[in-house]
This record gives sequence, C-alpha cells and structure tokens, in this order.
Amino acid sequence: MEVPVKSMEPKMKIERSKRKSVNWTPWFFITPHLVIFGLFFLVPILFGIYISFTSWDLVGKANFVGLANYKEILFQKDSSFYTQFHNGLKNTFIFVILSVPCCIVVPLLLASALNAKPRFHKLFQSIFYMPSLFSISAVVIIWTLMFNVNQGPVNNLLGKSILWTSTQPYAWAAIVIVTVWWCIGGNMIIYQAALNGISKDYYEAAEIDGASSIQKFFKITLPSIRGQILYTVVITTIAQFNIYGQPLMLTGGGPIDSTRVLLMDIQQNAFGSGQSIAGIASAMAFILGLCIMIVSLIQFLFLRNRD
Amino acid sequence: MRKLGLLFMAIILVVTLSACSGKSSGSNSSSSKEIVFWNPFTGPDGQNMKKMVNEYNKTNPKYKIKNISLKEGDMYTKIQTVVNSGKNVPDLMIVHAERIKQYVDNGMLTSYDDYLSDYPEIKGENYMQEAWKIGDIDGSRYSVPLDIHSFVMYYNKNLVEKYAPGVLDDNIVTFDEIEAAGKKSQKDKITGLGITWVKPNFLSLYAQHGGKLTENGTDPTINNDQAKATFGLWKDLLKEKVTNKEGQNPGQMFLQGKLIFYPEGIWMNNNLKDAKFEYGLTNAPQLSDDKSKLVNWSSSHQFVMFKSKERSDEKAKGAIAFVDWVRAHSLEWAKAGQNPASLKILDDPEYQKMPQSFLLKDPKEQASLKIFDYKYNGYVSEEIDAKGLDIIFGKTPIDKALVNIQKTLEDKIAKDNSKK
Repeated sequence: MEVPVKSMEPKMKIERSKRKSVNWTPWFFITPHLVIFGLFFLVPILFGIYISFTSWDLVGKANFVGLANYKEILFQKDSSFYTQFHNGLKNTFIFVILSVPCCIVVPLLLASALNAKPRFHKLFQSIFYMPSLFSISAVVIIWTLMFNVNQGPVNNLLGKSILWTSTQPYAWAAIVIVTVWWCIGGNMIIYQAALNGISKDYYEAAEIDGASSIQKFFKITLPSIRGQILYTVVITTIAQFNIYGQPLMLTGGGPIDSTRVLLMDIQQNAFGSGQSIAGIASAMAFILGLCIMIVSLIQFLFLRNRD
Repeated sequence: MRKLGLLFMAIILVVTLSACSGKSSGSNSSSSKEIVFWNPFTGPDGQNMKKMVNEYNKTNPKYKIKNISLKEGDMYTKIQTVVNSGKNVPDLMIVHAERIKQYVDNGMLTSYDDYLSDYPEIKGENYMQEAWKIGDIDGSRYSVPLDIHSFVMYYNKNLVEKYAPGVLDDNIVTFDEIEAAGKKSQKDKITGLGITWVKPNFLSLYAQHGGKLTENGTDPTINNDQAKATFGLWKDLLKEKVTNKEGQNPGQMFLQGKLIFYPEGIWMNNNLKDAKFEYGLTNAPQLSDDKSKLVNWSSSHQFVMFKSKERSDEKAKGAIAFVDWVRAHSLEWAKAGQNPASLKILDDPEYQKMPQSFLLKDPKEQASLKIFDYKYNGYVSEEIDAKGLDIIFGKTPIDKALVNIQKTLEDKIAKDNSKK
C-alpha cells in the first residue's frame, strides 16, 4: 500500500499549495462525536478543574484561591477536609483492591464453565447476566434483605447472626459480594466471546501431550485471551474507582466511616443539604481522576510488557 | 464529496446547537399563561398535591398551575443552576423551611412584600406560628408555609395496655415510662422503643435538654453537655435493652406487633395502615410530663419564588393566588398525613378526626412544634445522620464524636463566602 501513496505525494503537494484546501471527509465522520464530546465531556471537565481553584458555593461569585483547596485536602492535617479526603481515598483504594480481582476471576471462571457447554448453559448464561440489568438501588434493596440479621437468608444459611452491614470486616465483604454479583455479566460476555475464538487444535494437541485441565487453562486459555483480560482489568478498575451507590445505600459509610468512599464526600460537599462547597469537592474529584489515570496507565504498561 | 462533508458538518452543528437552545426557549415560561410549580413530592403525597393542583385549575384561574414534582436532591441541585443562568426559573416552588435563610442570604429569593396587599388573608394570624415566622427575615416576607410536619411517636394500643397502662392519660410518654415498660416487656420478647431516624430524635431531645444549635446564628454549638446527655440517654436505653438491637428493623418489628413505641414522622401514617392491631399517635418521647416543656421536632414545606427576570408582576400575583387558594383548601394535604399550616383547617370536621390533628388542636401542642431553622442546619443533619448510629451503638465514644462533629461543622461554615 505504501508505494502508490508515496508516488502520489508530489501531485498532492502541488494541489495543496494551489488551493490550500483541507480534506473534510474525516471531519464529517468524527463531527457528531466531537461535538458531543466537547459539549458534555471536555467543557465540564475544564470547568470542573477551574472550580477546583476557586472557593464557590454554586450561587454567588467564585473567588479564585489558587492551589489553596489542594493544599488543604492534601497537607493541612488539622482540617476536617483533609481527614475526609484521606479517609475517602484510602477506602476507595481498599475497595478497588478487594473488588477488582473478584470482578475478573469470578466472571472468568463462570465463562470457562459455560464454555464447556454443559446442559442448560444458555439458561445459566442469562441468569448470570441478569443482575447487570438491574439498577444499583434495586440491587442494594435485594441484598439489604439478604443480609438482614434475623430474617436474612445469608445468616440463616450460615447459622450465625452477623451484622453484615454495620461491623467490619463484614461490611467490606458485603459491599464486594454485592458488587461482584452486580457486575459479573459485562466481563463474562467478553470472556465468553474470547474463549469461543480459541482454536480447538491447541487443546487437542495439549491433550495428546497429556496436559491436565489446569495446565490447559493456564498455558493455553489465559495467554490466548490476554488482550481481553487487559481490557477488562483496566475498564473494571476505572469503574470500581467510581464506587458510590453500594456503600451509600448498604452501609451508609459505616461503621465509623470505614466504608465511606471519596465519591460520597465529593457528592455531599458539592450537592449536599447544606451550602455547597464546590471548590473543595472539585479538587477532591480532580485528584481522584488523576489517581484513576495513573493506575490505569500502570496496569496497561505492566500487563502489556509481561511477555 | 468534500463540499458534502462540509455541508453535513454544518447541518449537524446547527441541529445540535438549535436543539440545545430550542429546549430552553420551548419550555420558556414567561410567554405562556402557566405558573410553573416545582415541588419535591415524588412519594405518595405527590398524588395529593396533583389533586389539589387539578382542583385549583378547575376554578379557571387567570394563570393555571403546571405541577412538576422532582426528586428532592435533584430539585435542590437544579434550582441553583437555573437561578444562576436566569432561564427557566420556576414561578413558584416548595422548599424546606431550614433552607430559606441560606437562600435569602444569597439573594436568591423574591420577597412577597409588594404583592401581599392583594391577598389580605395571607397573614400571620391565619397560619401556624412556628411555620409562619420562618419566612419573615429582616422584616420582609420570603415564604408562605404549606404545612408543618412533625416527628412524633406511634404506639401499639394492646401492648401499651399490657405493659404501660395509663401512660397515655396525658398524651405524654416520658423516657422513664418507656424504660419501665420496656423492662417489663423484655421477658415476653417485646421491645420497648425503636431506634429510628437519629436526626429528629436527637434534635428533639437536645432541645428538651435546653441545647441550641447556635447561640449567635452563625457559629455551631454542638459539643456541649446537652448533646452528651442526649446521646447518653439513648445509649443507656440500649444498654438496658429497652430499645431494639443493632441490625433490627424497628418499622418491621412494629408492624409485627413486637414493638411498643415507634418514633416516626406523621407522614408515615399511610404506610402503617396495614397493621393488624390498633395503634395511635402521640408526642415524641419526652423528658418530663410538663406540657409547657414539650418538644416535637418539625419541619415545614414553604412556598417561595426564586428571583427571575422572566416572571412579571402579574404572574407573581397568579402564583400567590394559588398559595392563597391552598390556604383555604388544604384538607387534601391533610389526607397525605400532613398537618397543613393554614389554621383554617381546624374548622374542618374531617380533619378534626385525623390522628395527626392533636398537634394543632391544642395551643400548647402547637407550641411544642419546633423547627430547627439554623442557617447551617443542612450540615448538622449530614453529620448527625452519618455519625448518630455509631454513637448510640457504642462504636465511637460520645466525647470524641462530638468534638469531631463540631470541628467538621466549623470547617464547612468557614468556607461560606456569603457569610454576613
């Protein structure tokens, strides 16, 4: 393909210098996306970053305060916003570390199981996928009943009376269980598609060589779907950093703020029942955004170069 | 092809932009003969409000009401944006009493002063005082109350007869009486008192102890002996096993007939109607039998007009005409379980029979309804709601928690630019 392009170059140069025209065709394809991206994504982000340098209540005039908000939440130890931010960010990271591996492994195992095409596998596929269709409020209501101390099926099965949503470490366990149950579907579908694409020849060859199924899984299956795993790890991590609904409705951030995640503080500061503290909230949000970017980048580099 | 692309791009841009601006001019209210009315009634009470609006519109007013119910959180976020942009500001809106001071300090509300001469019946004598005085700020009137809704206590009549006979003779149940009843009922696995929404429970008892949220109107005062005594009392009741345990759902227990006293809002009455036993409504738990010391936490829905250049004087009068109509026709609102703020309701025999009416019938009961209209009440609510249960269930020591709450409130208030 390169040769003809090169040969055309002189001709194009002449044309450009003559008419200084731009090729509009690609623009025509990306314009709709560009307009929407700009209006609903880029502008709000830039505006949000600007707000983080101000002291503003969303109503009056925004006073420019430079880096004061960042200084306060990052370094000013006696400020309650410092405590809020550090506690919130810490809990967000705890949640990501606990939930992301589960959100990868569980769907992968289920996808492998379904890939063996057992009886009723279509039915099970639908059952596993179904929770993803529910809204988070519905999911939390269901699980609040499941985790109820006296009447809840979970405690009845275990024969214990555990306070799932208000004591640690059960509160984290409950949040992670709910999250995994809720988001199995998305990743599972991706893995199923990937598993379908692996050639049967590999497995047959391995079988002849006497490989066990565990060996087959680690030596053939996993390497073959590495691309999809990389993609889901990054996407799942980004999604889990934005955790909000599960702790808000299931544990209320308790016990003693131990499941209070950063988005809860951001939301309350910006749009709580009191006067808005939008500057601080925006600064917190921006740093959370930075964290997500950095973590995704590290994951990407790490997983890509593992060969 | 290039020209075609350019044309396409231009068309898309024009369509997108005109869609955006078209939306705002399409629902622009200034030209139409409608009063756009925002309210946070998305629950069952929304049906009652809808009925009232329909009734009003049937009277063929000059301006008809367009009823828009929004989720509370969304409504409060949205109103800031529309007031900022000056476009699509609703002509009339319901907000909670505690927010009004803040809105006035930010210069966001239009005063009723210029219009009230046309509506002589909208005056203090015709409204419940605690709800009426909220709208009076620096000598101007900024809001007119729709209702006053209080946090009271439901009781199971059979269980009261069995374990606490006679406590309701004066319609005041004290914490001592609850404790005695709860201790008696323990052996039958019946719980005395439910630990429900902490904020109103706390504030009501805090006020009975003589506690105030602020002394000077700005600085918070929550880390004090009154607050310690308040949380201390609830903790003691838990320790004595008079209250439900952590993780138990008091609402469910009450419906199953396993709870004697259930503190909840008057607005919950419609949810309890399935109960298979007789129940009644009384004052929130009190420290003393003295009727003059009664406190029942209350809040109020208030009609306000946010500043808008698009709203003409005529239209503002049209909005107030509706407010005045509601004053005279608030029985439907009482059916939602609420107590209307217009005292005219007291003449209605049907209202007189409603269980929540005991709070308005007696002037001393009326005086017990307390609205906590501290300008930073929103921050206080968030803190009490986030930390209250941890304190009562003994996860954080009271002293430490109160220091923490006080500090958080001070830090948040320090961020307020509009502070006078």
